[in-house]
Amino acid sequence: MEPIIKIENVTKKFPEGEGEFVALKNINLEFQEGEFSGIVGPSGSGKTTLLNIIGSLDQPSSGNAWVMDKNVAELSHKESAQLRNLHLGFIFQVYNLLPVYTVFENVEFALLLQNKSKEERRKAVMQALEWVGLENIPNKKPSKLSGGEGQRVAIARAMVKEPKIVLADEPTANLDATNAHAIIQTMKKLNEELGTTFLFSTHDEKVMQYLNRIIHLKGGEVEKDEIITAQNPKS
Amino acid sequence: MIQFILKGIVRDKNRSLLPIIIVALGVTLTVFLSGYLGGVFQDVIQQNARFETGHVKIMSKAYAQNKDQLPIDLALLETDKLKDELQAEYPNMRWVQRIKFGGLLDVPDDDGNSRSQGPAAVMAVSLLSENSQELDRLNIRNSIIKGTIPTKNGEVLISNDFADKLEIDIGDEITYVGGTMYGSMAFQNYTISGTVKFGNIGFDRGAVIMDISDAQQILNMENGATEILGFFNNEQYQSESAEDIVKNFNAQYEKSGDEFAPEMQSLEDQNGLGEILAYSNYMSQIIVTVLILAMSVVLWNTGLLGGLRRYKEYGIRLALGESKGSIYRKSIIEAILIGAIGSIIGTLFGLIATYYMQEVGLDISDLLNQSSMIMPSTIRAKIIPSQLYIGFIPGLVAMVLGNMLSGMGIYKRETAHLFKELEV
Ligand SMILES: Nc1ncnc2c1ncn2[C@@H]1O[C@H](COP(=O)(O)OP(=O)(O)OP(=O)(O)O)[C@@H](O)[C@H]1O
Ligand SMILES: [Mg+2]
Repeated sequence: MEPIIKIENVTKKFPEGEGEFVALKNINLEFQEGEFSGIVGPSGSGKTTLLNIIGSLDQPSSGNAWVMDKNVAELSHKESAQLRNLHLGFIFQVYNLLPVYTVFENVEFALLLQNKSKEERRKAVMQALEWVGLENIPNKKPSKLSGGEGQRVAIARAMVKEPKIVLADEPTANLDATNAHAIIQTMKKLNEELGTTFLFSTHDEKVMQYLNRIIHLKGGEVEKDEIITAQNPKS
Repeated sequence: MIQFILKGIVRDKNRSLLPIIIVALGVTLTVFLSGYLGGVFQDVIQQNARFETGHVKIMSKAYAQNKDQLPIDLALLETDKLKDELQAEYPNMRWVQRIKFGGLLDVPDDDGNSRSQGPAAVMAVSLLSENSQELDRLNIRNSIIKGTIPTKNGEVLISNDFADKLEIDIGDEITYVGGTMYGSMAFQNYTISGTVKFGNIGFDRGAVIMDISDAQQILNMENGATEILGFFNNEQYQSESAEDIVKNFNAQYEKSGDEFAPEMQSLEDQNGLGEILAYSNYMSQIIVTVLILAMSVVLWNTGLLGGLRRYKEYGIRLALGESKGSIYRKSIIEAILIGAIGSIIGTLFGLIATYYMQEVGLDISDLLNQSSMIMPSTIRAKIIPSQLYIGFIPGLVAMVLGNMLSGMGIYKRETAHLFKELEV
């Protein structure tokens, strides 16, 4: 099967003082549709940089990054926005909800960009809120939410358009153990039910135990690519 | 989507309040200043219109050419007929006859010898006729210092300062010494019924106001007048109508070689009032331009601050798949909405302030006591139609301009850079 994400000799350099800093060195990776995998590694190892490239928020300095048969390295601003809009969902360490809008409106926003009708939007939003167990508080403001609830809204927002790929950058870093487990379990369930491909970056042991595959990054290089077969997560 | 933006504006006070206040303030100022200027200039023009130029004025062609010398020998004759014709043809105006002439006033003592003397400018208007509007138009009732308005022929008003100079009082007799329109000498005694002060240096120095029939009699100018003035029924000058009437009227006499044929001039053709009107427009434009520039700079900066504050939001929207162009366009739409709200509020406040200054006015008579300027003693603003857009459009433009400038900076940033804000 064609991989849904294919990273080919990707190098990313950032200008630093006079010279440049190499954040990613010649990375080669492939992800199949439906994977539930994670990138782990110490701070500064390039996890976010790699996720940003896959998310077409950034472009590689050299090499190719194929996402849903589109080469991120060659996309225009507009095309990459289109790719994100239709196929990619993002979850961040901080939930990054728009503070002036309600839970419902935050989740709805992605659909507004797709010009969905009001009824379609309402259905999809309520469905997504149900997935994360927040169907009872659509009208709350983000400031009134607990950390766990906030991150659930972020998941609903990422999932509402039923994207092919969800990129989650340290989604549990700000959560306590109970909430972290709940969040991961929610995502795992969506992965199984909808077939959505999940790619995490994480330091979190609790996350790692749910993953099917762990890619170890160090100093911008893939140190180890570990496939984990059928394993029962311990709690 | 517009709904979504509107919600954002309404709920996020930081996003909307400051810019709305700035726009509203600038627009209020613009609207009020233009109403204020409009009022002041209009007062100057109105005074001139009432005392001098009318909204339109008809003189004989020859008189018009020498009008500074007040050449009564070149007066219009058969003016009653002409006035009736005018009234029939242009019913939206009121037509009045006036005579202006000069002469010497002599104050006799008990023995009939001259006690004091002075040159006088006489304005003869319809004072005694029952339905005369001139009393109101010249605001004579309120300008009387001592005595009363003449009630019969042979009574005149004299400017208060002039009376002081000649050391005469109401009830005293004065002798007019001058000539008729045919050049022979003329003497006539008049009784002073009252003294007046108009707050107008030209008039207050040495004027006599008498009824037009007295003037016609002494000047031998039966059924004549040096000028016929036309005033729009609502007493407001209307530039375009006036020009039309002037063109229309003058066309009838264009080919006439008769130097006594009537000629009409509009207010703008006389006394440099056209320039004053142009100047007041020019001043308004300068004020508007300066205020737009100032508002734009301030709004540019608030836009920048707002933009910085909203990097995070832009990052989220980018991640959700909104294009930079769309974010930029929506921030412009936001600016238009905010600009419109601010401009509406500003226009309203500006109009209210103007209305207050129109109805109540600012009394500066104490300031003017020592001054000899020809100015109304109460400054009044004036609500004018252009106030509806003169502030509104600049307010909107400034807001949008400010936002475009600040948005440009954000637009140029790398996506990844904006996105970095999300990690904090
Ligand atoms: N825009 C940038 N300009 C310069 N250097 C950058 C930029 N973005 C990342 N870097 C550098 O690249 C390296 C990798 O950064 P990255 O954010 O990918 O690390 P990370 O693995 O996500 O770390 P963490 O676990 O702390 O989130 C870091 O040393 C960082 O300083
Ligand atoms: Mg990171």
